[in-house]
Amino acid sequence: MEISYPGAVAPEKSRFVRSLGLRLHVVEWGDERATPVLLTHGFYDHARSFDTLAPRLAERFRVLALDSRGHGDSDWPDAYSWLADVLDVVNVLRDIGRPTHIVGHSRGGGLATDAALLFPEGVLRLVNIDGFGPPPTGWEAEGMRRYEGTVPELLAAFFDWRRTNVERRSFRPSPSLDELAARRRQQNPRLSLEWLRYFAFYGAREIEGGFVWKVDPYAARGFGPWRPEWIAPAWRRLRMPMLALWGDQPDAWGLPDPWRSERLAHVPALERAVVAGAGHFLHIEKPAETARLVVDFLGRT
Amino acid sequence: MKRLASGRYEIALHELRPGPGPVLLALHALGGGAHDWTGLAAHWLGRVYALDFAGHGGSDWARGGSYTPELHAADADTALAELGEAPLAELGEACLVGAGLGAYVALLLAGARPARVAAALLLPGRGLDGGGPAPRPFDPGEELNADVWRMLAAREITPRPAFDPMLRGCENDPRPPDYARPFADAARRLLFAEDGGARPPWWEAARGAQRAERAPADAAAALAVLSSAAR
Repeated sequence: MEISYPGAVAPEKSRFVRSLGLRLHVVEWGDERATPVLLTHGFYDHARSFDTLAPRLAERFRVLALDSRGHGDSDWPDAYSWLADVLDVVNVLRDIGRPTHIVGHSRGGGLATDAALLFPEGVLRLVNIDGFGPPPTGWEAEGMRRYEGTVPELLAAFFDWRRTNVERRSFRPSPSLDELAARRRQQNPRLSLEWLRYFAFYGAREIEGGFVWKVDPYAARGFGPWRPEWIAPAWRRLRMPMLALWGDQPDAWGLPDPWRSERLAHVPALERAVVAGAGHFLHIEKPAETARLVVDFLGRT
Repeated sequence: MKRLASGRYEIALHELRPGPGPVLLALHALGGGAHDWTGLAAHWLGRVYALDFAGHGGSDWARGGSYTPELHAADADTALAELGEAPLAELGEACLVGAGLGAYVALLLAGARPARVAAALLLPGRGLDGGGPAPRPFDPGEELNADVWRMLAAREITPRPAFDPMLRGCENDPRPPDYARPFADAARRLLFAEDGGARPPWWEAARGAQRAERAPADAAAALAVLSSAAR
């Protein structure tokens, strides 16, 4: 079975990079001799979510995309922490072996930003696509937002959830890839069914009873309590320029103002650009416009 | 020593003092182990258990190296549940003692499980000793960058070190002190061993809670105060 989507190009290469004992899946487009760009995807996405952005960047750069631990074709860890995910990005940068631009979307934008703080000598420029963290009303990682209660109660809920769900290998299967895509569309109504079918083709696997996302169910509850605004103040130490990108359409997954402006105020060398007619997934909704802004920014080194 | 399945790995639970009486679960400091409590166990009137945190001693290293105080607290919660099911258990609840990282974990567990934890004694020690209003781990100056490289390098060498160097991610508190306070407010009884020495900001914030008490600096004497909470 094959699948296609307008403008989507499959990566030319695929390999694994070791990080903290895990095998992380990295795919690649473009000329190996060109300046590298590393793409880091968002929560519950995978590297192939860049199949429409990456080929546009690959006209000029060597483009690599990482499957985060627990996502796509990368290994699943025993537990999750923000620091370990950031060190995975650092380890991929070390594996690339030369200074690299990073472009991260959503949670991947936050990871890219913190990797740039920990490994500034490995990062040329940074693009953060609507990856400024959830609003402060949510205490938890994105998957925990719906849980109400005091912080100690939330931690007790995490204990209970971990005890009963840690061995789960998947969520409920969908009978077909089409239905899996349709279910995803309820969460991401701005994305077309055609794209989500393409996305599911590479992001799902078949088990008895149907299709499930490759993502580790534990990844949704593994972070423990966390507040992203605790880390934004550290962005003042970023040594490279950052381009902050977002779409002008309201989207439940993006971070609206005033929080976005409050957090970005910490970045010393900041540029901002807004993509018209797009929501949180601007690189998928408007790949040509997003690529143009990214190439223009990265090209100014 | 008994190995318990907790999450996706196993942790080692040591019985340091058998017999009837109230249960004490001891939680060691960063880089320590259950054996740290051998001397102190004699000062408790009931049973004493001690946990090796994941990445330490007889417990597994977490595959992928993701350690957080919340994860250690989940493991300690597993140990508490196991103790509650033991045939000799006379109590549905236990007391906790923790040092450093273990003290922070005891605070989290006492706040998250007030029905299971009668009281917790917090002692100074290594781990979670930094932090403050400006979060440390992602506020990296040169020093922290060097720490990260040491951590990565140490995890790549053989033979492997005595404890997982990724645990150094638990050295500093990435949360502002107001994160600790609701746990202190929810806990039934907290004893803070005070010797006049400096304490991390989370400690200062937690000991402002209504049911927080000062305890003697001497650990054995503090344990005697704790045992009164167990009866």
